[in-house]
Amino acid sequence: MRVDPYFVSNLVGSLDQTQVTEQQLTAELSSGVRVNSLSQDPVASGENVLLLNQIQQDDSFTQSSSLVQGQLQVADSALGSVVSQLTQAISLATSANNGTLNQSDLTSISNQIAGIRDEVTSLANTNYQGQYIFAGGQTATAPFTTSSATTPATTTYNGDEDVNSLQTPNGQTIQLNVPGDQIFTASGANSVFGALNNLVADYAGGATTAVSVSDTEALNTALNYVSQQRVLVDNSLTRLTASTDAVTGEQTQLTAAQSNLMQADLPTISTQLSLAETQQTALEDVIAQMGSASNSLFSKLQ
Amino acid sequence: MGTINSAFSLISQALDADQSGLSIVANNVANANTTGYTRETPNWQENQPVDINGVSYGAGVTETGPTSVRDRVLDERLVQQQQLASASGTRLTALNTLQALFTPDSGSSTSSAGDIGSDITTFFDSFSSLEANPSNDALRQQVLSSASILAGDVSNAAASLNSQKAALDQEASGVTSQVNALTGALAQLNQQIQSISPDADAGTLEDQRQQDLSQLSQLIGINQVTTENNGISITTTSGQLLVSEGSSVPLTTGSVGGVTHFFVGNTDVTAQLTNGGGELGGYLTARDQDIPTALASLDQLAYSVSTQVNKLNNAGTDLDGDNGNAGNLFSQPAQVAGSAASMSVVMTNPNHIAAAGAGQGTGDNSNATAMASLANQGIVSGQTPTDFYSNFVTTLGSTVSNVQTENTAQNASVTQLQTQNDALSGVNLDDEASSMTTLERSYQAASQVFTMLNTIIASALNLGEETTVS
Repeated sequence: MRVDPYFVSNLVGSLDQTQVTEQQLTAELSSGVRVNSLSQDPVASGENVLLLNQIQQDDSFTQSSSLVQGQLQVADSALGSVVSQLTQAISLATSANNGTLNQSDLTSISNQIAGIRDEVTSLANTNYQGQYIFAGGQTATAPFTTSSATTPATTTYNGDEDVNSLQTPNGQTIQLNVPGDQIFTASGANSVFGALNNLVADYAGGATTAVSVSDTEALNTALNYVSQQRVLVDNSLTRLTASTDAVTGEQTQLTAAQSNLMQADLPTISTQLSLAETQQTALEDVIAQMGSASNSLFSKLQ
Repeated sequence: MGTINSAFSLISQALDADQSGLSIVANNVANANTTGYTRETPNWQENQPVDINGVSYGAGVTETGPTSVRDRVLDERLVQQQQLASASGTRLTALNTLQALFTPDSGSSTSSAGDIGSDITTFFDSFSSLEANPSNDALRQQVLSSASILAGDVSNAAASLNSQKAALDQEASGVTSQVNALTGALAQLNQQIQSISPDADAGTLEDQRQQDLSQLSQLIGINQVTTENNGISITTTSGQLLVSEGSSVPLTTGSVGGVTHFFVGNTDVTAQLTNGGGELGGYLTARDQDIPTALASLDQLAYSVSTQVNKLNNAGTDLDGDNGNAGNLFSQPAQVAGSAASMSVVMTNPNHIAAAGAGQGTGDNSNATAMASLANQGIVSGQTPTDFYSNFVTTLGSTVSNVQTENTAQNASVTQLQTQNDALSGVNLDDEASSMTTLERSYQAASQVFTMLNTIIASALNLGEETTVS
């Protein structure tokens, strides 16, 4: 049987191929990445896009969440101060209602309660990074203004009913704000400013004890109502923390999965590299022996 | 009755024959490394015997000339396989350049530069961040800058694809002149072969013709038909005549719709050549199929993202209080085709991002939420933008990987056929050494016989005396 007389040059082709393999393995080793081009593993490349997308979303949510946490904490502490101010107003009103004080004392209490009302107004107009947090969607303007043109004075809400929410990567919705009118100027006996303005007018104008007692009770009801609204803010804070924790955990897992998918398996690559080197040495020896002139029949002829 | 004289003439013929045999061996050795050379073997023929008085005497040997050792079936299969391998090889080179634009993102922050997948995520994430504080200027700037990065990377990729397409177009039309030179040469060789050797193998001329055919098949896909008097006709794989015995039909090019088209005579054969094979087939497949497919996906992505984001931005309320009229974020593409190349951000003022819902105060974030959730809606051909990009990447990678596998298999098959062909037609120096030794021995033997005959004749001339003639 005749053989291909150029088999040595074919061996050189195999040698080239071995060197290509070595080069590729070395590139994987140095970059630490298993998939350097799409065609090396098309499915992993596609999967990688999805994983990175989720990881980035999680990362971005963690950042948004810390921004929002600040805002919710400011809202919570503002409502905390409102509660203590109102408690003080109730104790002032209770002392005024026992019927032993003269008109000048009552006027002084009226002024003190008016001071508390102004303090609560400024708390209700709290802003966070320039945004009024109890204004619904109208965060550019202060939501509450009090006019003393009427008796009792009237406090007007300039905001709206808009509720913002944050979407978590898992699709949950977390409420970010409570509109101010829902907290401070709710209908009927729940209105904080209504009760405060009435009390200010009662003590300034010498109203009957029965009226002021009923207004004090209204303030008490309003205080409880504010506390209820504060729970909404606290709930959001709790949910936000829980979501952030969950998302951080998910991110860790996804990052591990992504690393598994894309990163080079060093022991395997080292083994493959060493095999390729052995093959290269073997091929070189074979070529050196086969290609030498003494292998030809001509060299034997004299 | 044979005489000593006839023995003389017989043995000197043998010496001639051995010499011409040796010269054939020498020619083989001389051409051992000549590309396309087919090894030749001497043909020995016993001379017509001479009948004298009813007795038949052998009349020696003649060497009738060399025969090239070739297998036409093997040659033809090699040509066919070469055109496939060269088509997939050329296409693979183009695809490798193409996929380099979409190198997988390893996940580290530096590698994500220029990665469209991560640009998409960052862009929609910037709206999620805006939900946290819709009137914050830094967050709004973030939306614009991530939009610019997305638009920049998409339009860069599209521009690279377009310039790659133009480069392939150039290379494809460059092949034409080589094809025409080869078909011209083949037509001439046909004429020579037909006039010199209509009935038998034409030796070196056929080697030359085979060599040209092999080169031609690496350039374009061809079929060959053997015609009378040892000529061949060559057609493209789809049947357009390129060489008909002694004449050739040139392949011409012309610009149709901005790309180069190929003509044989007046027939546009571009589509046929695309699937025909050879380098030209590979260039055209990459130019007319692979790149347009990738570009169409990017166009679809750019069109859908731009259109949907613009639509929502115009439906909301921006920071200046513009309700339902905030303007476009991206330049609005008129049609899908070309959207990727023209993708850009037209909004310059971050206040014009409509984070608030229609009719809501500027502190509202419902429209930002809606825009962020576009990331999870099937807005691009029924898929989310990220899923669409992920599928695009997988499809492209699979195509490259398939062509790679195909090319490896075809190259292996070419190597196998080449090995078979070389085994049959290549010059094996050991073989030549052994034939040379055989011929040398035979020449030596004939010389010896000649010397002995000489001695015998001398004896005859001297009639037993040992002196006069030696």
